[in-house]
Amino acid sequence: MNSTEVPVLPSHAVTQQRSTDVVELNSICKNYDEFVAVDHLSLSIPAGGIYGLLGPNGAGKTSTIRMIIGIIVPDAGQISVFGRPLSRGHMDEFGYLPEERGLYKKMKVLEQLVFLGQLKGMNSTDAMASARRWCERFELSAWVDKKIEELSKGMQQKVQFIGSVLHNPKLIIMDEPFSGLDPANALGLKDAFLELAKEGKTILFSTHRMDSAERLCQSICLINHGKAVLQGDLGQIKSRYGKVSVQIRYEGDSSFLHEPRLVQSFNDYGNYVEVRLAQGADSQELLQRAASKARLSKFEIMEPSLEEVFLEMVGKPHA
Amino acid sequence: MRNTWLIIKREYLQRVRTRAFLILTLLLPGIMTVLMALPAKMATMGAKAEHLVLVTSTREFGEQVRQQLLAQPISEEAAEGEGENKKKMEDRYSIDVDANPTDAERSALRQKIGTHEIDDYLWLADDAIAAHNVTWNGREMPSGREKAWLSDTLSRIALQQALAKKGVTAAQADEMLTPVKVDSFRVEGSHESKNSGGARILEIVVMIMLIYMAVLFYGISVMRSVLEEKNSRIMEVLLSSATSTELMAGKILGVGAVGLTQILAWTVMAGMFVLPSLAMQPNLSSLELSPFVFASFAVFFLLGYLLYSTMYAAIGAITTTEQEGQQLQFLIVIPLVLSVFMLMPLIRTPDSAAMVWMSMIPFFAPIVMFGRIVMQTPPLWQILLCVVLLIGTEVLLLLLCARIYRIGVLIYGKRATLPEVLKWLKYAKA
Repeated sequence: MNSTEVPVLPSHAVTQQRSTDVVELNSICKNYDEFVAVDHLSLSIPAGGIYGLLGPNGAGKTSTIRMIIGIIVPDAGQISVFGRPLSRGHMDEFGYLPEERGLYKKMKVLEQLVFLGQLKGMNSTDAMASARRWCERFELSAWVDKKIEELSKGMQQKVQFIGSVLHNPKLIIMDEPFSGLDPANALGLKDAFLELAKEGKTILFSTHRMDSAERLCQSICLINHGKAVLQGDLGQIKSRYGKVSVQIRYEGDSSFLHEPRLVQSFNDYGNYVEVRLAQGADSQELLQRAASKARLSKFEIMEPSLEEVFLEMVGKPHA
Repeated sequence: MRNTWLIIKREYLQRVRTRAFLILTLLLPGIMTVLMALPAKMATMGAKAEHLVLVTSTREFGEQVRQQLLAQPISEEAAEGEGENKKKMEDRYSIDVDANPTDAERSALRQKIGTHEIDDYLWLADDAIAAHNVTWNGREMPSGREKAWLSDTLSRIALQQALAKKGVTAAQADEMLTPVKVDSFRVEGSHESKNSGGARILEIVVMIMLIYMAVLFYGISVMRSVLEEKNSRIMEVLLSSATSTELMAGKILGVGAVGLTQILAWTVMAGMFVLPSLAMQPNLSSLELSPFVFASFAVFFLLGYLLYSTMYAAIGAITTTEQEGQQLQFLIVIPLVLSVFMLMPLIRTPDSAAMVWMSMIPFFAPIVMFGRIVMQTPPLWQILLCVVLLIGTEVLLLLLCARIYRIGVLIYGKRATLPEVLKWLKYAKA
């Protein structure tokens, strides 16, 4: 199911129509007064799998997501979902988890889930059965008759997640789903993601954390200042745009890092240094130089991380 | 449609199931009854009987006056049972006869007033009676009603005496002096209503205050509820399943249904407990609600509620905290309060040009037109025109507010300014 699309640059380029795409954005724009939130953004999300919408804070991710769901209307451009222009009829096929989480605090867990399910067109019996199944899956069964306000924050987030998937939507859209989760819950959410993807659902999620996208996504779109900077299949993007880098842990003289012939740039993370090799430089030569100057405890040739690719594309924020 | 219904149902059940709802529904009628009965009770409670001394030339004449004064009720308090009435008058006045009309006695009585031994004396010496001019001395001036009571009774006695001198027997004189009683009926549509003026004023005051308070109370509930959904951030989840118009309509109708339930419960309770006790009050015994007035109450309460709660929903959407909402809501309350201020002119001249015009303005109509209907049924075309205008305004307002709502509910950070709201009206596709 992997997309064979080449990353598109520049962002204005129109994506080609393909029937397997679940979501197609065609040059959509959204302005708030003077501020341009989304600027002629085009992207297509292939059916099945996990799609990451990446970018720093304020890049336009939430605006884009809200437009896909139809909560806000683009100033210009077209959106089509499941091959049809976006309309009210699509609402029931979406599962949505907004960045700003919220539930009725005074309602009981099960009541609330059934209400949310019914709003998506389920009858109360199905909604009840599905809610119970999901609550079991997330170990909430003992809490279904408790009011939301009696639950811990982590449990509330689980309930919120169930609320967005219990109606078995074809397209699940989550805005920053991992923010504010403790490691255990984040792990649970990741498992649920993979499970849903395996069932053939399409998951679109936004994040400003490149590492979580890198682990989960098959395809991504990287946006900055409302424009797509990079999009397409993750593996292809990396092989095409990534430069080879090396992780080195050392003690002693660091002069080997300052040889422009070998090192284009480096980033000191404290525990180790990540070195980007200069064009045409040989990593073996760097190893020899480093070993002659310093004591090495680690020397590893790395596949480029998404973050590096991103920084490469948009420039370092404070170089 | 399905979504609106679900939202109405949730809103209704969540509210009706709370303890606050139960307590308010059960206790408010009791509190209202106490509040209404209390002033009347307090006026009579612990009041000492007024000590009045009648100064006459003969003791027999003094006794005669005393008897007749106590038998004659004071003006409007229409005759009930004779005995009941006499007892009431005896509670109010303790009357002594003093058959010593001398100057020395006069100054003695003056002193007694000073020492609070007596409250007032009435100089009824034969020469004063003959001159048809008697004098009242007291710590306080007599009220108009009291003066009429004294004057009527004394005139009657003077007439009886004059007739007796002409050889008319006491029985004949009584018959001659029987006052003519005026029965009054109000024509309401084609049927007559026995409602007395007092009953009608009570009816209009209670029902208009009910409309006023209910519209305010449930309107604010709508605003609060919108703010709650905004602040708990559930709004965005809901918006991914339902349109803003559905959400707003569902909320307004759901809260409205709660209001109707509550008012219905109160009406039933009033019918069971309050009205029977009110009916014991002599001047309210004729209270009667015509079905037409009742139907108008339902119509104008509902239309008024819809009109105002729509505005409250919009205010909830453009503000972020309840305090901000409270600050803005005075804009809404002004026409409502103004129409309640119109209560007095409304009762006095329900068909004046000013009232007719005011009842045609939708923001005043729920109270003013309803008041006119209770006081003096206006022509049917006026009522229909008023209802049509009200519904038209409501639809228009609903469309406008749905646009404000659509954008407003997603604004979390700060209160929207007026220019911003105007811009939303222009851009938002509802």
